Amino acid sequence: MGFFDNLFGRRERSAQVAKQRLMMVLVDDRYKLTPEMLEQMKLEMAEVLSRYLPAVDPEQIEVTLLRGEATDYLKADIPLKRGGE
Amino acid sequence: MGRVITITSGKGGVGKTTTTANLGTALAMQGGRVAVVDADIGLRNLDVVMGLENRIVYDLVDVVEGRARLRQALIKDKRLPELCLLPAAQTRDKDAVSPEQMTELTNQLRAEFDYVLVDSPAGIEGGFRNAIAGADQVIIVTTPEVSAVRDADRIVGLVEAAEKGPPSLIVNRLKPRLVSRGEMLSVDDVLDLLAITLIGIVPDDETIVTATNRGEAAVYDPQSQAGRAFVHIARRLNGEEVPFPALQDGQGMLERLFGMFGRRRS
Ligand SMILES: Nc1ncnc2c1ncn2[C@@H]1O[C@H](COP(=O)(O)OP(=O)(O)OP(=O)(O)O)[C@@H](O)[C@H]1O
Ligand SMILES: [Mg+2]
Repeated sequence: MGFFDNLFGRRERSAQVAKQRLMMVLVDDRYKLTPEMLEQMKLEMAEVLSRYLPAVDPEQIEVTLLRGEATDYLKADIPLKRGGE
Repeated sequence: MGRVITITSGKGGVGKTTTTANLGTALAMQGGRVAVVDADIGLRNLDVVMGLENRIVYDLVDVVEGRARLRQALIKDKRLPELCLLPAAQTRDKDAVSPEQMTELTNQLRAEFDYVLVDSPAGIEGGFRNAIAGADQVIIVTTPEVSAVRDADRIVGLVEAAEKGPPSLIVNRLKPRLVSRGEMLSVDDVLDLLAITLIGIVPDDETIVTATNRGEAAVYDPQSQAGRAFVHIARRLNGEEVPFPALQDGQGMLERLFGMFGRRRS
């Protein structure tokens, strides 16, 4: 049941919420990058990218931090709108 | 030459002293010569957790300041002759000792013991710096809660900056049923966040409370799940490969299916 609740976005489980919040907090703690700055960064990324790829929607960009033993990684998911428009 | 292993955390009360007492006892049961050192000066606790509070004559600060020799201050365990405790001073504060003095002390101990386990105070200040000063290896204890994990990440950074090598992680007080309902961070979640090597998973367990009440380590109790987890960690410290139980993985599967977060660990 809870599984489907999740799928259809009804109510996220608290562990998932905790993990996402912690991810943001740790980025801020380690890199002094606040959620606002991250938002701004996404907008600017979209601006640059859309000069080349008009299909980029700034709303859809997701930037997450991946932690590694020696290095952390910033990972950006940039979905492209299919077809004309 | 023995190994100096410091058990630390960012947040207080996550189980450092419990871990030190149980790992020390388990390592001694496995045949090692073990000294456990209470570096929480001013908030002495390891002695009561181990049931040795009535035997204290001298403490760590007495040794450092030359009022007692190391041998005089070491207290033998009740059951295990190869297990000794060096108690903290109760009436002094953390500045009574310097990192250089702690290093000197742990070096002296490592000449006589196979394992020197240092129970660190919580926090990121002087007491923590003293506790890691002489360490060859650092174990960070956290619970699967946001504040504890956040503070653990601070400690990871400080341990790396102090060039103590990569720290290892114990996730303590895990509640598998909560994890499987998605209402507690799983071990996988914590590893994704902290990205350090896992050395143990200890369930939340009432036998820790009863064992601590009696001043006996939970590793003596064959019924204690937490005790068993500590025995496993001790075996891993001894270089054995002990598989992790499946209990930690309540939620990791779903995450992997949906690829929400990358996974990276050693
Ligand atoms: N796995 C566990 N299951 C149940 N209770 C636990 C467990 N681990 C620790 N506790 C309890 O949590 C409390 C805090 O543990 P402990 O004193 O070991 O933490 P600490 O990190 O040394 O604290 P401090 O930062 O104050 O030194 C104790 O009451 C202990 O019995
Ligand atoms: Mg303690």
